[in-house]
Amino acid sequence: MAEQGGTAEQSKTVEEPKVSAVELKKRAKADKQARRAAQKEQEGAPAEVPPATNGAHQEPSAQGQGVQQDQKGKAAQAKGQQQPKPSKQGGQDVRPERGGPSQPQSIPPRSKAAPAAPSKELPKRDNSVVELLSHLYPIQRRPNLAGVSKDVHPAVLALGLQISTYEICGSSARCVAMLLAFKEAIQAYTTPRDTSLPRHLVSHHLSPQIDCLRSCRPLAESMGNAIRWLKKLIVELDPDKPEHEAKDFICEEIDRFVHERITVTDQAIAASARNQIRTGSVVLTYAKSAIVEKTILQAHEQGTRFRLIVVDSRPLFEGKRLATSLMRAGLEVQYVPFSGLAHVVKDATLVLLGAHSMLSNGRLQSRVGTASIALQAHKADVPVIVCCESVKFSGKVALDSIVLNEIAPPEELLLSPIPEKSPIHPAGVATTAVTGKSAVTVTSAAISKDASEDDEPAKLKTLHEWSSISNLRLLNPMYDITPAEYIRMVICEYGSVPPSSVPVVHRLANEGM
Amino acid sequence: MPHATHPPSPGLQALILCGPGLSLNTFTSTPSTLPKCLLPVANRPMLWYPLDWCHRMGIYDITLITPADAAPPLEAALRSHPVLTSLSGPRPEVLAPKGLEMTSGTAELLRLGEVQRAIKGDFVVLSCDFVSEIDGSRVMQQWMSLNPALAAASFSRRKGGLAVYYPTHGREGISSKKDETDFVATVPFSRPNVMPPTGSLRQGVEEVVMVMPTDTLNDTLDENKQALPIRQTLLAKHGNVKIRTKHRDAHVYFLPLWVKDFAARNEKFDSISEDVLGWWAKAGWQQGLAEKLGLDEVLAGKRSTDDEAANGGSVDEHEEVDATALSSTRSAPAPGRQPPQAFATRVGNSTVPPPRPKLAVPPLLAYMQPASPTQPLIRRIDTAPQLASLSLHIARLPPSDTSPLAHEHKIHPSATIGQQTRISQEDCLIAENVTIGTRCNIKESVVGANCEIGSNVRLTKCVLMDGVVVGDGVQMVGCIVGKRARVEGSSAVGVKAGEAEVDGAAMKGKGKAKQKASAQSGGEDDDKTKLTECEIAPFFVVEAGTEAKGETMKAFDPEGEVGGDEDEDVDVGDEDNEE
Repeated sequence: MAEQGGTAEQSKTVEEPKVSAVELKKRAKADKQARRAAQKEQEGAPAEVPPATNGAHQEPSAQGQGVQQDQKGKAAQAKGQQQPKPSKQGGQDVRPERGGPSQPQSIPPRSKAAPAAPSKELPKRDNSVVELLSHLYPIQRRPNLAGVSKDVHPAVLALGLQISTYEICGSSARCVAMLLAFKEAIQAYTTPRDTSLPRHLVSHHLSPQIDCLRSCRPLAESMGNAIRWLKKLIVELDPDKPEHEAKDFICEEIDRFVHERITVTDQAIAASARNQIRTGSVVLTYAKSAIVEKTILQAHEQGTRFRLIVVDSRPLFEGKRLATSLMRAGLEVQYVPFSGLAHVVKDATLVLLGAHSMLSNGRLQSRVGTASIALQAHKADVPVIVCCESVKFSGKVALDSIVLNEIAPPEELLLSPIPEKSPIHPAGVATTAVTGKSAVTVTSAAISKDASEDDEPAKLKTLHEWSSISNLRLLNPMYDITPAEYIRMVICEYGSVPPSSVPVVHRLANEGM
Repeated sequence: MPHATHPPSPGLQALILCGPGLSLNTFTSTPSTLPKCLLPVANRPMLWYPLDWCHRMGIYDITLITPADAAPPLEAALRSHPVLTSLSGPRPEVLAPKGLEMTSGTAELLRLGEVQRAIKGDFVVLSCDFVSEIDGSRVMQQWMSLNPALAAASFSRRKGGLAVYYPTHGREGISSKKDETDFVATVPFSRPNVMPPTGSLRQGVEEVVMVMPTDTLNDTLDENKQALPIRQTLLAKHGNVKIRTKHRDAHVYFLPLWVKDFAARNEKFDSISEDVLGWWAKAGWQQGLAEKLGLDEVLAGKRSTDDEAANGGSVDEHEEVDATALSSTRSAPAPGRQPPQAFATRVGNSTVPPPRPKLAVPPLLAYMQPASPTQPLIRRIDTAPQLASLSLHIARLPPSDTSPLAHEHKIHPSATIGQQTRISQEDCLIAENVTIGTRCNIKESVVGANCEIGSNVRLTKCVLMDGVVVGDGVQMVGCIVGKRARVEGSSAVGVKAGEAEVDGAAMKGKGKAKQKASAQSGGEDDDKTKLTECEIAPFFVVEAGTEAKGETMKAFDPEGEVGGDEDEDVDVGDEDNEE
């Protein structure tokens, strides 16, 4: 009974087509509360060990998690007993589920840097909710245009859609596109009577635009920095300035910002980083970064002869795009799936990485999988160099990828559309097994396991049916955190700095603005 | 149906083309009184469907383009028709350009000065006969998300377009083999970056490389001994071309502003669907065609002037900032390739001039709806059978259905229904102020507003437009009856109290005369009016005792007894207007 209930609930959260703003808010609130609760419990649990290395970090925290689980399970049980039968139904509904954690169970090892989503299986109140991770559970992204504020400018709306479909993806691309769209929105703005542009524009016109973008996908660090800069610029405008002048001024400033902080910066970084590539180098890179692409192209144009290895992973396959454009430019490119990393890293002489954000403790936040690349490179004594504009530097601190991350909808891990009929009958099973094996790497293990039990056709599951598995929740993180020890150097427009200098650059670049 | 919230404006304007409706000429022969766009489809003027569709997308800037003849009735209807006035939002603007004839092509229409002036930004072109269950914003969403240039709207004019094609087959009760189709060749558009969420139309979006109506296709086939010539360049560029012949253009185009100039530049273009889109699609792969059509100047010229205007010429380097170039899900286009080895000198001047970076023609996308009965309906109504089948389809929708087309009331509360009358609720639609006599049997039918139906009437699969009068004992199967037509039954029609006396008397007289006439030929049974699969024109009077199958009944038909009807027509019309 509990299982079915859980499934129904899950499918509800997954398939809910329209989410109103109010609901989103509610959900965010609930999430926050859950997070707080989790934090409180965390304080009780053994303090988190600052991880020396990625591998070493996993175990203690997993243990901590286990201890915590037990404590909580007991607490929950005790609570359940204390409750003086509030209402029969409620009590019955809750108890079997709460009894769950006391049963012995294996906590799957937390593989932070795995390319596919780590699946967490821990029955709790809502069967699949893990308190420790509950702050990460995906807030529904806007699936369509319903519920968008009326004030949103068409350009911003279009951008929001493009961001949510990953047509525009990548920290700097999103930042530039956002600023250009804001330019449009600001030009379309007229100040109402009785107020002035500096007082009204930000709170009444710009914030719905920002909210719209945020509801399409959480804002990137660079976008946050740019928005902060823009707000400051607007607020500090002279209120007596005529409106059109003020708008033109803002737009010019935006252009200048894009120019200075991104266009020229990219060139400067590429010019500096290309010197790291020498004749005969083998450069390894992961996914796609605009700066890394530029650096490599410039080094190629300079006449340096070198080889390139592009490592790539699901679900976005950004490395494919990088490999394509570099191949078109005439470079020698080797394209390797993530599973081949350990093999190719031995050949590499240099690892070039892009960044989503540089955190203040010197850690790198980048596309999920980057940390493994850096770890492997570190082990093989290959220098890891990060290219990152200062606009992506952040004042935040994160020790691991669980504290701070963006979670994408789990459906995005699928490679093919969800079949309309779930293949439960044996005839359908055979076909899905074949296609699944060739395409869906993650489920191949499950398939081979199930294939041996052919007499029970209903047991076969592919990734498509994950939501029908009770106690399972998929997390599809976008980023992971690479420890500073693996990073040899960060190249930004202020020069080549060690990761420990990130806070300094951040203060210089983003806070003094 | 009220809209819960106003969606944000997508920054588009809509042009709804209210054409003449040639294939519906039984009902639209006089556009000055009843233009095609006001024909009722399931008791709503046809125009309501595209208007409502636009409103649901958040488009309120709507221009109706119509020939001057049809403008007055259209404006009157917009002011007074209860269904049209119930639409929220500002009333659409009616534009009747001077040069527009009933026979003008759609591209010709785009070239007219008034229309050119009316188009101020990106626009959607719709036809008034477009009916869609699919939410417009979902289609628009695809257009927006696959148009990288959109985000920086004034920056670059390299936006693409999006058309919609629906399958004509595979839809029971609606599809028929006679449906018009188009010939569409498409190539897959780049794969989505991740699995699109459920309900997204992304899987159906493809890039059009060739499109023409089936008529043109047949002409081409005839010219070429039943072979369709296809250029090698197409296959050289696209390895995977899919040709469909059973899809039809829904005549919904999301077009960027530059298409206006493109249409204006090419005088030869006649229709939007065949010429503007057809050439645009071809220009994407055929060498030199884009230049021949002036696309390079349309795109480039536009661009430079706009940039100057937007930037004020102060910071020109920013032209190069392109968010899509930075995006991690795109690869850079092939850099300006050197032309393949130069030709031998003998070829001389005929060599192509060293190509400037090849003109990138913005893609023309199309949403190809998969053929499946579970898909939401998209249709165009341009023949009488389609009008009937679609009306009946809408009548079948349950009132609580999520479909935007469903009616709130299957049988309007203001309808008066006599005793022992049976109406099958689930597939009938009865509009306001309908009176139905006793012992009637109505199945799978749509009855328009203010209809009067006598007693003992049997209607099956019939569509009655507004104000139709059906006499006692009439049997109709699969008929479409035009506005204010009169189908006489065995006895006089004007039994109802409250009807104008003069008219009632006249009708009685006539009915009696008829009875006498028919009494000679046979018994009572023959007296009944039986119509099967007939189309009856507006204001036409079908005399009692008529038995017909598959006929089209229009005034001025050379069939003898028409002379008498003419007076009748006028009388009825006048009287009804007074009411």
